[in-house]
Amino acid sequence: MKFIEDIFNKQRHHFEKGGKLEKLYPLFEAKETFLFTPAQRTASGCHVRDAIDTKRLMSTVIVALIPTLLFGIYNVGYQYFKAAGQDPEFVSCMAVGLRYVVPIVIVSYAVGGVWELLFAVVRKHEINEGFLVTGLLFPLTLPPTIPLWQVAVGISFGVVIGKEVFGGTGMNVFNPALVARAFLFFAYPAQISGDRVWTVVGDNVVDGFSGATPLLVASSHEMTNVVDALHQFGQHAGFADFTMMNMFIGLIPGSIGETSALAGIIGAAILIITGVGSWTIMAAVCIGALTMSLIMNVVAGSEASFLALPPLYHFVAGGFVFGTVYMATDPVSASATPAGKWIYGFFIGVITIIIRTANPAYPEGMMLAILFMNAFAPLIDYIVVRQHMSWRLNRGQA
Amino acid sequence: MELLSFSIKAIFVENILLAYFLGMCSYLAVSKKVSTAFGLGLAVIFVLTITTPMNWLIHHFFLRSGALAWTNVPALATLDLSFLNFICFIAVIAALVQIVEMFIDKTSQKLYAALGIFLPLITVNCAILGTSLFMVEREYDLLHATIFGMSSGAGFFLAIISMASIRHKLRYSNIPDGLRGLGITMLTTGLIAMAFMAFSGM
Repeated sequence: MKFIEDIFNKQRHHFEKGGKLEKLYPLFEAKETFLFTPAQRTASGCHVRDAIDTKRLMSTVIVALIPTLLFGIYNVGYQYFKAAGQDPEFVSCMAVGLRYVVPIVIVSYAVGGVWELLFAVVRKHEINEGFLVTGLLFPLTLPPTIPLWQVAVGISFGVVIGKEVFGGTGMNVFNPALVARAFLFFAYPAQISGDRVWTVVGDNVVDGFSGATPLLVASSHEMTNVVDALHQFGQHAGFADFTMMNMFIGLIPGSIGETSALAGIIGAAILIITGVGSWTIMAAVCIGALTMSLIMNVVAGSEASFLALPPLYHFVAGGFVFGTVYMATDPVSASATPAGKWIYGFFIGVITIIIRTANPAYPEGMMLAILFMNAFAPLIDYIVVRQHMSWRLNRGQA
Repeated sequence: MELLSFSIKAIFVENILLAYFLGMCSYLAVSKKVSTAFGLGLAVIFVLTITTPMNWLIHHFFLRSGALAWTNVPALATLDLSFLNFICFIAVIAALVQIVEMFIDKTSQKLYAALGIFLPLITVNCAILGTSLFMVEREYDLLHATIFGMSSGAGFFLAIISMASIRHKLRYSNIPDGLRGLGITMLTTGLIAMAFMAFSGM
């Protein structure tokens, strides 16, 4: 590694003040912090020192995303062969998956990176590792058939309007990856909803193929029992089999990264053990969703209704785990106070189930519920802090 | 149950501020502090809850086409005074806002000072008049009109306190110079409106 460092050090004077490429210093600095440990030391004042800085925090999230990413790649290929009625074999699944997923990730990183660099140069702030997380989270929320230009438009909107206009990493109100995803969802609904977009299909597809997701099947079926409807769906040749096990492992159609609850739970374990993700929020989302889906089960009336879907199915279907683990726990856009985290998470769970079951327009509500609560997270914090202040004041006076 | 979903629709789906963009001026101007926004939001809920049914009564018994049939005067039975809608509605709103203003002046000087000019300006707040006009156009009955007024107010309240707390947080953000103040507020409003679209279609 020493000789790489030497190469860069030789170029350093170009980027420092007075050098030819002074304007591109943020780029040089980014390389420096990504690859090496920068030599800067705090010169004055007293500081609390901790090994966990933004860089390590964000890299941990990326590590936690790897199982989801790998499984997503495999599943894209798996669904491809399943739709063709062929036997999905591991190596060819990965090959097909890579062919579709890698370009999406590259476009997301490249286009988002250009915006990030542009703002860093003009506004003279550092390029932050936070972008590496956004740039990977966003592709994982997309269907594998998404046109690449839409990936570019989406990530541009997310990075610029979702983050940079607020001043960059750590200052945004909404999760940039979710802003990007929601923007695409409302601007180009044809490419991001329905039953056609979730599976990459080749030339030979089995007759009457449907790539519907479990939630789509649950929201529009003609059976007398919603759980039976899910199980029956997989009886046709070529269709995904919505057994509990399959949905848990993630061998079902859906966005690239959202299908596997298992991979999400592995990610959650990494985030919780390293202390990067808040377990409070994750637990609160689950409690909220559990409560609301039980209430919905009670008021459902008939067993055929989407309202009657048991809570466990809500947990493994759609983007529930992905959203809970990676999106809701985003430390910037979530509530920051301990009590606020419980309230914030709880309402995400509740609203997700309400949108899924009671809103006929959208069978999936995870993304929109988190976005909605992002708007109220500062308010929750404000109220919690005020409440705390008045308690402390009263205690002091008593 | 029907009334509940009607109310939810008016609060979230057809939020008077985020879906119709009515009442933007006071929303943008008074959302700098959470406590003031809270006060204005409550005042709007109060004014809307009272003016909407009152305007409904006036519209229903005096102004709409054939409204005066109860007088049993044949000449009045076919009269259509609905061109007076605007002026009557505004008069009711203005009178009520005066009462609210006197009340707040008497009870909370601090809130009165904080709201300042925006309290009398509720009179010309498009959200208030807009709610009354929507109520006429959509032909609600008295019960629905009251609930519609209250829910529209609640929608405005939710939007303005969420905006105020976001602006509270944004004070620590390094926003580009050209966007400071109203610019970033408008952008944030757009993003909040996008988040509220979660409920559209319900």
